[in-house]
Amino acid sequence: MSEKTISNNPESVVYKRCTVDLASGTTTFAQVPCKNLEDVLGGFGRSFQILAERDIAEAYCPENPVILNTGLLTGTSIMTGMRSYFSGYSPLKKSGTGRPGAMWSTGSGNFGNKFKWTGLDEVIFENRSDKPVYALLKEGENGPEVELKPADHLIGLTGHGKIMALYQEYPEAHFAAIGPAGENWENNYMGAVVMSTDNELKSGEPKSRFAGRGGMGSLMGYKNLLAVVALSSDKLQKITPEIRDVNRDILKSGGSARFQPASQGGGGGTWANIEVLQVFHAVPLNNFRPKGNDDVERLFRDEVEKEFDIATEACHRCGIRCHNNLFYKNEDGSRGKLAAKFDFEPLILFGSNLGVHEPAKVCDLIHRCDLLGMDAISLGTTISYVLDYNERHPEKPLFNGATFGDYDKITELIEDAGRGKLPGIARGVKRLSEETGETSYAMHVKGLELPAYLPDTNPGYMFAIAGGHMSMGTHMMLAKEGKHSLEEWTQAITTGGLLQVGYDMIGLCKFVGVGIGHDIIVRALKEAAGLEIASADIVAAVRRAYLRGLALELRQGFHEEKEYTLPAQVMDAPNPKVTLPKFITNEFLAELRQRVWSVFKPEMEGLLPVQGE
Amino acid sequence: MQIKVKLYASLRRQKFDEADWEITPDQKIASIVEQLGLARQDVGTVLVNGLHAGWDETVAEGDVVSLLPRMGGG
Ligand code: SF4
Repeated sequence: MSEKTISNNPESVVYKRCTVDLASGTTTFAQVPCKNLEDVLGGFGRSFQILAERDIAEAYCPENPVILNTGLLTGTSIMTGMRSYFSGYSPLKKSGTGRPGAMWSTGSGNFGNKFKWTGLDEVIFENRSDKPVYALLKEGENGPEVELKPADHLIGLTGHGKIMALYQEYPEAHFAAIGPAGENWENNYMGAVVMSTDNELKSGEPKSRFAGRGGMGSLMGYKNLLAVVALSSDKLQKITPEIRDVNRDILKSGGSARFQPASQGGGGGTWANIEVLQVFHAVPLNNFRPKGNDDVERLFRDEVEKEFDIATEACHRCGIRCHNNLFYKNEDGSRGKLAAKFDFEPLILFGSNLGVHEPAKVCDLIHRCDLLGMDAISLGTTISYVLDYNERHPEKPLFNGATFGDYDKITELIEDAGRGKLPGIARGVKRLSEETGETSYAMHVKGLELPAYLPDTNPGYMFAIAGGHMSMGTHMMLAKEGKHSLEEWTQAITTGGLLQVGYDMIGLCKFVGVGIGHDIIVRALKEAAGLEIASADIVAAVRRAYLRGLALELRQGFHEEKEYTLPAQVMDAPNPKVTLPKFITNEFLAELRQRVWSVFKPEMEGLLPVQGE
Repeated sequence: MQIKVKLYASLRRQKFDEADWEITPDQKIASIVEQLGLARQDVGTVLVNGLHAGWDETVAEGDVVSLLPRMGGG
């Protein structure tokens, strides 16, 4: 933002935008006054308003932009405030009419800070370049400057490889790059954006963060935009006593405590979820179908510690330190080379859900996916479908005939998918299951593969606007609280659940874990951004942003009954091994939809701008 | 009276996996957690014989009380 105005009058807040025409190489800078509080807060709250102005029928078309932006607290000294966002119409998420859904994807690392410190709040990449390029965003003497540079030397490198190559040229910068998956955008719709961390640049090890969901890396690949370099001097905001208090409260909050290192009495990251969900036999296994056995226990932290050295590390200056990095142990017991980052989603989706239970093998699969620059959730969940199909059809299996636990063949599938040789997998499970005709056990909602929480426990997935992403904060509600009535689920979806997306506006990690209108957030905005915004106003803006996203889904053709549903297996063949209440029936979902739409629809009116204006 | 207490994940690492525990007949779950030396904010979910239970509930002789840490993520 160009002005630090203490005001809740949105027009008084102006942000700096650069529009880059990749076809002509021209750049245009503008000071844009905020239209509303969603614009002020930033992230998808702003980018979705731009996307909503466009009529996009195909993700891969020049008019579909990649929007890179930040949140209001990105680049501040508020703990975790370093998020950047990539938004566009997704090649992966598509409606029954074939039109793409709008998506955003976000990651941490130090790229967001460096981007913000160039003086820019937003870059819109329009059209496509006819040659591979990278964008150099830097602070110049008279404000931010943006240049496109040839990127032939980056072609074929992994995401981490591209980052390290660019680091040689720009040792003061941070980077967002695509991997081979994004380069093979025609055959791979799940390319991620790989973002650099300080630890990665210092150690040379692939400790990247990922903006993985929805194929924003593939969209960059389509545009021939292989990387973005953010070059700026560090502008660390002074930590005032008030900011120190906010950060202390973030660290002390029950939400973030569970992500802090186990050695410091924290929960040790999302990894801890595996042991908790196993109490109910609700850890995804063999394509989201737990068997009630103890196979997953080999992936519990204590078991993995026997084989690997676990280091809890962090993005730039974050005290939450939620990264669990696994290192091989040398023969003398000292720390060897990095094996993989090990968090709940990849751990489950490349482990138990593929029938692979040896930690070293799971590490290897995660590592391959990361290097190729694919979304671990989409890839893992699509491969688990393939293995499930092959187990059901041994006489006519798909691809190389891999089945659950077949590590060598799964490795082949990952490598081939990442390099564009297996479009059947890399275009996602929705398309694949429509081709095979067996859609009931294809684990996606609205074309986006499900994360590592059983759909049998979360009807909230239906209304997650990032579709199958974790943007509806109801994924643990059943296990946590045992709630399973229509009233409770209607209430959760229409009040608390949707507010989870607020974190994807303001620039903080949702690992902060407090409610979006929480006093900590209000104080953080005041102290670090100089804006006094009442809690109720923040909540209302987040709600509008979410509902605008939902309205945009309907406009893109998502059917309000047929596509707001769960994989049919959940309703048709409830899993007797899961010990949580089985409450999701077709009737339950129909009634839930009706109740939720009746709350949301009136509020959605008028939220979408008129296209083309 | 005696109950069985089971702890999971970070709670297990702080104390024990499973133990028989002496309580008074009218003791509420909140007080059992306190007696165990666990911080209430560290406990996210309580199960009694596998079913979700609240802080103010009491338990019966021989019940199995499972304590799970806060969960989250995504
Ligand atoms: S919570 Fe985790 S991902 Fe977020 S900034 Fe801190 S270390 Fe990085």
